[in-house]
Amino acid sequence: MPDQGTQTHAHDPRHVRGAPVRKRILSEVAGYVAGAKDIGRLVSIMIGDTPEVAVYIRGQARAAEQVGLPFDQQVWPGDISQESCKRRIQDMNDDPGVLGIILQRPVPEHINVRSLQSAIHPLKDVEGMNPASVGNILYNDVALAPCTAAAAVELIRETGLNMRGLEVVMIGHSEIVGKPIAVMLMAEGATVTVCHHMTRSVAMHSRRADVVVVAVGKAHLIGPDMIKPGAAVIDIGINQTENGIVGDVDTRAVTDVAGWVTPVPGGVGPVTVAILMRNATVAHQRQKAAGWI
Amino acid sequence: MTASLIDGKAFAAQVRGKVAAHVARLKDEHGITPGLAVVLVGEDPASEVYVAAKHKQTVETGMASFEHKLPANVSEADLFALIDQLNADPTVHGILCQFPVPDHLDERAVVARIDPAKDVDGLSVMNAGLLASGEKGLVSCTPLGCLMLLRDELGEMSGKEAVVIGRSNLFGKPMGQLLLRENCTVTIAHSRTKDLAEVCRRADILVAAVGRAEMVKAEWVKPGATVIDVGITRIPHPEKPGKTKLLGDCDFDSCATVARAITPVPGGVGPMTIACLLANTVTACCRAHNLAEPDGLTV
Repeated sequence: MPDQGTQTHAHDPRHVRGAPVRKRILSEVAGYVAGAKDIGRLVSIMIGDTPEVAVYIRGQARAAEQVGLPFDQQVWPGDISQESCKRRIQDMNDDPGVLGIILQRPVPEHINVRSLQSAIHPLKDVEGMNPASVGNILYNDVALAPCTAAAAVELIRETGLNMRGLEVVMIGHSEIVGKPIAVMLMAEGATVTVCHHMTRSVAMHSRRADVVVVAVGKAHLIGPDMIKPGAAVIDIGINQTENGIVGDVDTRAVTDVAGWVTPVPGGVGPVTVAILMRNATVAHQRQKAAGWI
Repeated sequence: MTASLIDGKAFAAQVRGKVAAHVARLKDEHGITPGLAVVLVGEDPASEVYVAAKHKQTVETGMASFEHKLPANVSEADLFALIDQLNADPTVHGILCQFPVPDHLDERAVVARIDPAKDVDGLSVMNAGLLASGEKGLVSCTPLGCLMLLRDELGEMSGKEAVVIGRSNLFGKPMGQLLLRENCTVTIAHSRTKDLAEVCRRADILVAAVGRAEMVKAEWVKPGATVIDVGITRIPHPEKPGKTKLLGDCDFDSCATVARAITPVPGGVGPMTIACLLANTVTACCRAHNLAEPDGLTV
């Protein structure tokens, strides 16, 4: 029999694909934007010339265009000082024409990215990176969450699983992905265990989980022996390998065991940018509620 | 009983000793006296007891204590005006508003008004976010106290299985974040958790904070686990009529036959809370003056 694995799996009903979710979110956002008078622009800041970021910015610009949001691509000089960056961001905080601010990473070494993220006002923090935004998530106000985390949660919702009492194992405890996902799912009633590089036996945890979310950046770390039959597996890893881009999950093998798997590419990734656009509409609502616009 | 007792009362006294020593150094070497301002709205008797205890310990460690009592019907504007004034006062390094406040005041808004650098209760959204982001902030006092007890008992916690029962903003969530920072594998269990006993049995470190008297039984505890009991339930004393008795979330006598170490109630976590409030005030003072922070008093 010819190996048609990839083809077969591309249409496997167990695969939770990001494209339809992205489309749905973007169309909701477009509807909102069409009805919002004088909505401001999204500003993307790239500091210095970082070509690896260009592909992400293009994706964001395309999504913004689709929903009708003005997208202002700024490139700041690579030798700009921390202070000037901060001042420019503060000016944008005060500018009612700026809806949201996206700080592209990486930044040059002399720039403290955390301090700049903290300078972005929480009401314009469409990436959900300001510590106050992180704190809001911890306190169950999850509307402006980091995009990748929110995208993963969106795809779990897509399976139709009821979160209450669900056993979730989050593998990876990064500040922008693992931790916020854990907190968001906990807020919905799941029992969440966070595993990481120091966890004695990740498999012991993942094998009892109804949902496994992986964000560690190790190609094919998760095999079928680590997954409970019928579980949902959300793969956030993006790993460049000789065979192209693969996730942290051995998708093909895990598909035989799991109830749902998000493919890489084509799973969480496409939803991430859509969430960024949705965050922009949340920011708009909050700015209005705060009397800013 | 096989478990060793984790004596929070004695450990809190050690923490206060460290605070006092650092306060003395700040005064001697820099002429700085750390100051804690406590705002009490209304006349809740329990709150008055807490505020008095905080005042006494603040003064005993050599710090300045500023008490502000406001009438129960104080307007939000007047309360905020006081907080603004304390935010701006360079002799005040820590501010806390004793909760609960009367219903017409919004606790979250009150906390949000306090400068995060002076929020020694560690309750503001900003400090919660700094903790979750792995950055320097001020950590909520009770979880910080539990972490100090665990560090003292266990030393390195990396790779240990930790289970926290309770997902409150005040305790469960920050405790989970602190244990993650120690590289524990962390599960936050709560009222929706399916098989709570089984989840708890996995734990090398079991922290109970739900406020249900003696809910955790010996069968829930993994042999050799370290058990931290944060719950406090007051019941009528079974033997002394008219008196009350405090119970923890753990059935102490049975759990103590299985655990390696356990905190009693009272005398375990409780005394650590005010000690950590004092520790946070010294930490906040050092940061305000760009001075080295005392060792072992924060994360």
